Amino acid sequence: MNKNNLLSELLSAWEETYKKGQLTLWIFLSLKDGKKYVDEIKSFVEVQSNHTMTCESQSLYRNLRKYQHVGVVDFETGEGNKGPERKYYFLTELGIELLNNFIERNINLFFSEQIKNLIISED
Amino acid sequence: MKTITKNLIAFSIGLVVFTVAFRFSLSFMLQNRLFSNAWIVAITYGVLIFIIGWIFGKKDKINLPLYDIGFRFHLATYIICNLIAEIWYLMDLQSEYENIRAVHLTAIFWGIVLLIHFIIYLFTRKNAIKGLKKSEIFE
Repeated sequence: MNKNNLLSELLSAWEETYKKGQLTLWIFLSLKDGKKYVDEIKSFVEVQSNHTMTCESQSLYRNLRKYQHVGVVDFETGEGNKGPERKYYFLTELGIELLNNFIERNINLFFSEQIKNLIISED
Repeated sequence: MKTITKNLIAFSIGLVVFTVAFRFSLSFMLQNRLFSNAWIVAITYGVLIFIIGWIFGKKDKINLPLYDIGFRFHLATYIICNLIAEIWYLMDLQSEYENIRAVHLTAIFWGIVLLIHFIIYLFTRKNAIKGLKKSEIFE
């Protein structure tokens, strides 16, 4: 296996594992951006992640049901486009607090000068 | 915690229908001294219950993966099967070869198993938030 192939395979393997835990963050970010129905969430996640993240609607519905059950997400029904009413999901107060705490503990550390420099540096 | 789900209700309705049909068939066969055929009814009933439990249990998990190690479905099965059996005898629908002692003994021994299942369920709740397994909420 040449170096490029090895690099590509290792990158894919790493990304596959890395992305598994990313969907919740992307869904929460899309809802922080405003109330959305499932197709809008899907589109937000795919566009904002530069299409590195993809998600099936069924998978989104399943996740949203779980989040709703634990009280971090809720929905209100709104008019659909010539179709049945849509569920517009949003973060509850608990959900916003959860996301903020998660970001503070797990994301903000990437913005420290030292880590930022390490990420930017190509050496 | 949401305990009574659509799929649990659908399973319970199916269980009521099959259990009444089973009770009727069993009593009818025994009354007509078709003893060697009674086991076919029992096996058919068992298989049908297993199938609807499998189908609705699976659908229930896909819809909302409540981490109850099957306790809700087990409890519903216990209540429905034993209640219908008791009612069957109360209404005097049993054959002359059936004895209510068998129903009571079944309820007692099955009840012990159910209690053990409940205790295990209580232990597993430590790993859950609002009935969802912690490791499955944000997967």
